[in-house]
Amino acid sequence: MFWIVSLLSQNKEVLYGLEETPQAMLLNPGSRISYEYHFGVPLLSHIHVNGGSSGVSVYDIFQESSLDINTRISNKIFELENTDFFTATQQLEILNFGWKNKKNYYFSGGIYQEFDFILYFPKDLAILAWEGNANYIGKEFNLGEINVSGDLLTVYHFGVNKKINKKITVGVRAKLYSSMLSFSSTSNSGTFVTIPSESGDNIYDHIVSNATINVNTSGITSLSDLDTRTQVINKLLGRSFFGGNLGIGVDLGATYEINEKWTASASILDLGAIFHKKNIESYQVSGEYNLDGIELLFPPLGNGDSSLPYYEDLIDDIGAAFTIDTIYNSYIQMRPVKMYASVKYNFGQAIGGDKTCNCLKMGENQKYNQSIGFQYFSIIRPKGPQIAATLFYYHRLSDYFSVKATYTADSYSYSNVGLGLITNIKMVNFYIVADNLQWYSNLAKAKSVSLQFGFNIIIDKNE
Amino acid sequence: MKKKSHLIFLFTAVILLFTACVKDTDFDQSDDILLTPAIVLDFLFFNLGSENFTDIGVNNLVVSDTTFFDLLIEDFTIDNLIKADFYFKNTNSFSIQLNTQYQFLDENNDVYYEIIIPVNSGSLSNPVITEHIEIIEEGTIVNLTKADKVVVNVIAPSSLDNLDGILNLQSKTIYYLSLEQ
Repeated sequence: MFWIVSLLSQNKEVLYGLEETPQAMLLNPGSRISYEYHFGVPLLSHIHVNGGSSGVSVYDIFQESSLDINTRISNKIFELENTDFFTATQQLEILNFGWKNKKNYYFSGGIYQEFDFILYFPKDLAILAWEGNANYIGKEFNLGEINVSGDLLTVYHFGVNKKINKKITVGVRAKLYSSMLSFSSTSNSGTFVTIPSESGDNIYDHIVSNATINVNTSGITSLSDLDTRTQVINKLLGRSFFGGNLGIGVDLGATYEINEKWTASASILDLGAIFHKKNIESYQVSGEYNLDGIELLFPPLGNGDSSLPYYEDLIDDIGAAFTIDTIYNSYIQMRPVKMYASVKYNFGQAIGGDKTCNCLKMGENQKYNQSIGFQYFSIIRPKGPQIAATLFYYHRLSDYFSVKATYTADSYSYSNVGLGLITNIKMVNFYIVADNLQWYSNLAKAKSVSLQFGFNIIIDKNE
Repeated sequence: MKKKSHLIFLFTAVILLFTACVKDTDFDQSDDILLTPAIVLDFLFFNLGSENFTDIGVNNLVVSDTTFFDLLIEDFTIDNLIKADFYFKNTNSFSIQLNTQYQFLDENNDVYYEIIIPVNSGSLSNPVITEHIEIIEEGTIVNLTKADKVVVNVIAPSSLDNLDGILNLQSKTIYYLSLEQ
């Protein structure tokens, strides 16, 4: 059994291509590397939080307004589509290190923990819950809109990067996934409709057709047996260190210096899967039913006779019409494949790694201290790939300070302004990246917010 | 000097990023969020012939049936039901008027709500429809949610022993819910 679970909000459009930070290698294992060693400050080298919705902001619902909040919610329910979604993502890098060997291969590895959650907006069910079916006779409510998943996992990775000639740098990264817990309900179907009775027995037919609801869990039910939070944490920590369901994956990437002015790069990430074999409990509910009320038969009962169990029979019939299976079969969860591609035009002050010139030193491959470019990002989601397009401007202001500004159009908005700041003071590398800056004066108006920052130690023998 | 200005810029930017704020919002409004779905469901239906009367006895004038209807006493219903509209559609081809009586009883058979509907007489060739809407508002809905069964009585004013005909009932209920946060 295969299904794809999406990790959303994973577009790190500002961090991509920021070669001063080792974390850029996690977005493109084939990025250019100008230093000899790096060490991420444990637990502080990459902290990433993101939350968002593609169709509604906090302000849309909770704004101070004379309009009743229920009216605002109602308006949004009808405005959103079933392809809109809510996401939360969090990453914490535990370890990150790298070194260049004598043959100029750059090896890097590390561990990070990741949590991802996505809920697609089940519009029909929201309308049903909000307004009921009384005013929707004949409307088919789509049960297949139920689409939710969440994952908590640890990723162990090790990669190698090599500049194979003056123009091309390539890289590959192997990943081992250790899933702590996972749940998903993404392959559902069925409809519910109330229509005027076709048989004429009663006024309506309430029909559930071809309903199939699947819920897959891994690592969750065993936690319910634990009594204390400490026990739960210890259990999860055990799973994070290879004690959970394991998976493998690979990242590939390359950078191509077309000429002195133009550079292109691309990467494909998380080509892999997690093999859920332990602590699995999946549920499947399927069936169909036509409800048309309770038919009374008026049997000639004698004194002391009980009436017929109409209601009990109805409940039993409904129960019998829907089979509920608990499944313990192992399953394979595909990782969400992510792709980046970029092309940039370099200009400005010429710089390079030559000690004899008075140049900026942080990147021997950085020929100019400024660049503008275009980035593409896509991610495979349960309801198809989603794409983001970014225009960016990069400026290395000095040998210890760089900035990158981005303008992104994605599923959340068409006007996402991001900014990244990177410093390299002595060996200490610090970066901070945020997007949707235009809403930072009032985050409630942002449909998504994302923040990444971290500290690294970078050693460059040329310095 | 340049380095200093860059550091000031960096420091300022970082401070700004970490001091982003949320304003012009009122999260206390979440207390006002109210779901008010109106759910329509079929209720009872039957087809009643003269044999339903005569099977009980000669000149029998009353037939009854009872069904449990636990939906009304579910905690969810008790907590959230604010109004219920019952719609009854009687189609009568008996040539006499009938009375239908719906009694909502609790487990001790105490009557908590009662609906009586006189059904107009019709004929085999021209059945007559009698509709009735019973709106149970907030003040009396609590009675409905104490009843776990419905007794239906159909009462004839005179014997149906030698009459042909059918009393058909179709019915539905619109349940108005109010779900607070």
